[in-house]
Amino acid sequence: MNLQGPLWRFTGVRPAAWVFFAFLYVPILVLVALSFNSGQSATLWQGFSLKWYSVVANDAEILRAAKNSLIVATLATLISTCLATLAALGMHGPRFRGQGAIQGVLGLPLLVPDIVCAVAILMFFAFIGLKLSLLTILIAHIVFCTPFAYLPIRARLQGMDPRLLEAAADLYASPWRAFWRISFPLLLPGILSGAMLAFIISMDDFVITYFVAGAGSTTLPIYIFSSIRMGISPKINAISTIMLLISIAFVALSYYIGQRKR
Amino acid sequence: MSSAISIESLSMEYGTPGSGHKALDDVSLEIRDNEFFTLLGPSGCGKTTLLRLIAGFEQPSAGIIRLYGEPMQDLPPFRRPVNTVFQSYALFPHMTVAQNIGFGLEMQGKPKAEIAATVERMLALVKLPHVAERRADQLSGGQQQRIALARALASRPKVLLLDESLSALDMKLRKDMQIELKRLQAETGITFIFVTHDQEEALTMSDRIAVMSQGRILQVGSPTEIYEAPVNRTVADFIGETNFLAADAFASGVRLADGQLLSVVSPTPGPVTLAIRPERISLQDSGDLQGEVEEVVYIGTDTLYLLKVAGQSGFRVRQQNRLGAAQPLKRGDAVRIDVPSAAIRVLAE
Amino acid sequence: MSTPRQLAARRQLLRRLGLITPSMLVLAVFLVAPLAIMLLVSFLQPGDYGGVKWGQYSAEAYINFLYERDLDDSLVFNTDYLGIFQRSLGLAVMTTLGCLLIGFPTALYLALQSEKKRNLLLFLVTVPFWTNLLVRVYAWILLLRNGGLIDSGLGLIGLGDGALGILYSDAAVMIGLLYTFLPFMVLPIYTSLEKLDWRLVEAAFDLGANRFQALKRIILPLALPGMLAGTTLVFIPALGNYIIPELLGGGKALMIGNLVQLQFGSAHNWPLGSALAFALFSLVLLALLFNGLRQRRSTEVRI
Repeated sequence: MNLQGPLWRFTGVRPAAWVFFAFLYVPILVLVALSFNSGQSATLWQGFSLKWYSVVANDAEILRAAKNSLIVATLATLISTCLATLAALGMHGPRFRGQGAIQGVLGLPLLVPDIVCAVAILMFFAFIGLKLSLLTILIAHIVFCTPFAYLPIRARLQGMDPRLLEAAADLYASPWRAFWRISFPLLLPGILSGAMLAFIISMDDFVITYFVAGAGSTTLPIYIFSSIRMGISPKINAISTIMLLISIAFVALSYYIGQRKR
Repeated sequence: MSSAISIESLSMEYGTPGSGHKALDDVSLEIRDNEFFTLLGPSGCGKTTLLRLIAGFEQPSAGIIRLYGEPMQDLPPFRRPVNTVFQSYALFPHMTVAQNIGFGLEMQGKPKAEIAATVERMLALVKLPHVAERRADQLSGGQQQRIALARALASRPKVLLLDESLSALDMKLRKDMQIELKRLQAETGITFIFVTHDQEEALTMSDRIAVMSQGRILQVGSPTEIYEAPVNRTVADFIGETNFLAADAFASGVRLADGQLLSVVSPTPGPVTLAIRPERISLQDSGDLQGEVEEVVYIGTDTLYLLKVAGQSGFRVRQQNRLGAAQPLKRGDAVRIDVPSAAIRVLAE
Repeated sequence: MSTPRQLAARRQLLRRLGLITPSMLVLAVFLVAPLAIMLLVSFLQPGDYGGVKWGQYSAEAYINFLYERDLDDSLVFNTDYLGIFQRSLGLAVMTTLGCLLIGFPTALYLALQSEKKRNLLLFLVTVPFWTNLLVRVYAWILLLRNGGLIDSGLGLIGLGDGALGILYSDAAVMIGLLYTFLPFMVLPIYTSLEKLDWRLVEAAFDLGANRFQALKRIILPLALPGMLAGTTLVFIPALGNYIIPELLGGGKALMIGNLVQLQFGSAHNWPLGSALAFALFSLVLLALLFNGLRQRRSTEVRI
């Protein structure tokens, strides 16, 4: 149906959309522009330079934080995606008693506000005597990444024609072989987007990480937070821009893959 | 003739035993070697359930399914030498046509060269030799149908199951595929079990038909037997067009509600139902049954007359439109209907 | 006696439970148990330097909510905490309304575009989901601070005086919340509108409705499920937000999240922190319950 004709021009809709996109993107564009500032000020433009990027690239503290973030995000993604894939496979099929409760627990991390989740896990670690470290961050990240990885896999599984597995069984494939030849390749896009979601969520998390991070296990968001608290600087502009660009490249890539599949 | 599939007292119950819905109710059936057998019935009659039990996708609540004498109701589907052509085709979307067709052989661990040769042979058999490397979802509906057939036939099953396999095709393709299926069955010599709700399709294609309703088999027989000699009203009603007249049987004939007499032999005395096919009777002045025209419907080759007979509306008579045989009848005209006794089937109530 | 069919079904169920168990274990040990412990802690006495005194139960944390203990141990009514709850609720409601106000026309605009343009715009809506919240909030600090870009921009046209005074106020927190949660409102509304059968709107036009009437009587009611979903997605995280008031409110415009954090930081009062966190969680559950009921009612109407 063609909805671009004059009949469909509702008053005020287009300006509202432009306000929306401007509101969304102007701050980001400003931030990116200011990261190329040559002066010492974070907001006063004094000329183009890449100097703050080299400052960032040579800052040992930032590099250590980036390394910690990558380690945690990679492990959390791997583990939570495995957990989520198994859970999605188990949840698929005729309903059984108690399935609703299990579904509820799987979605719980999405319901509990970050800050509540953070203090609950913090106290738990304190009471069982687990010293705060990268390990405690990892555990917390696995908890809140699992539902994010679970949802796309489950959706993909629900969209799969159950006849395909019957056809495989009909053509002499044992359940194990049918899984690897049929279910898994068809689920793969869901598993990949689940893993990507988990990775980004883990890389970006600040609140929960902030509470369960031990001394010396600083991640990138924690580093940025403490820098902002000490005052704005062109260095933060540069590192922020880098993080933005990495995220955007990530989405653009997944978007491109998604478009090509169609 | 040996029996390919023999089914003994098969039942299938959903929900709690005893109170659940019975999809199949104590069904017994013999399907012969190398025959084109059709399960016919309205949707929800249990025909697809029966097919899925034979394929092994579901377990029966009770009963035995034998394949050439071997009980197989406890075998999983991937150990049964039976293949299915699904209604939705269920072609694997992430594989090529060749990979789809070769899948069954691959699972059975056949050597690559043999698989490739079979795939080629199958593609030739279904007359699509050039699509091997295409992805399944790039094919048209009719082509997908042929590939689904080729895939199911590739591992030379002892029995091929077809679940409403033609229902997604348009009319013309469907007619072509009906002929194609008959040819394939003759060429491969495999027993086909075909599920459909389309009685015309069933009559044209089958060696034998089982008519099902509400989880039970009502009648098994050749298309002629089913059409000419339906065992009860449900079968007669489902297959073709039928007029039903209530009557009272006595020694030498039957009496209709308004007292008209017809000479036909009834197996039982008392109240019976007469089943009369509209194309077997004609409007003739010498006819032995009296009626009144309610509606005249012109359908090209035929004219359909809806009559009121013995107080019952909607009695149908089909007359071929021959040249010069114009006798313009209109609503309210009294007519006489010629009903040869061979055209009447007496059904005990 | 079990039939082979029942045995097969039981084996199948066991296999499925086996697949679910690992994730359930992780979530039960590291989320459900901690939440249960948190509830318990809220009824304990605080330890002297953080932590709690086990075995000493009291409702002190909940009493602290409304009253303060005076020097002579008598209870004095104190609205400090209540005020922060009220302000948090107010900010979350305002954010939700603001998101609806801008989000609905934006979603409608998206739904009316050609497919190619729509995909690009949708992509632009989703990008913020994937970018770091701290970084985006930081960008607003650059804009809003005294002597920042908006301030100096206003100065250039002779309106600003170098003391904009927006940063570290409720206004700044509002802007930050709106900015963060707008996409959460646009996407579900868009999903509703995308499914809408536009021939219904054509029918309305045909029957004499003008654009405004068609919008009000056809499009808006049919987009309601999306608006409800969006409301939940915005209200809940806005209510419990910690980062935005912390960075843009600067310790002056506190919300519940900051209050909770304080109890685990400088205040060393874990029971009170737990009680506050639990109160926040309850508010969230209430909001979800409310939304669930509304949604059930609206589906009942449709059937």
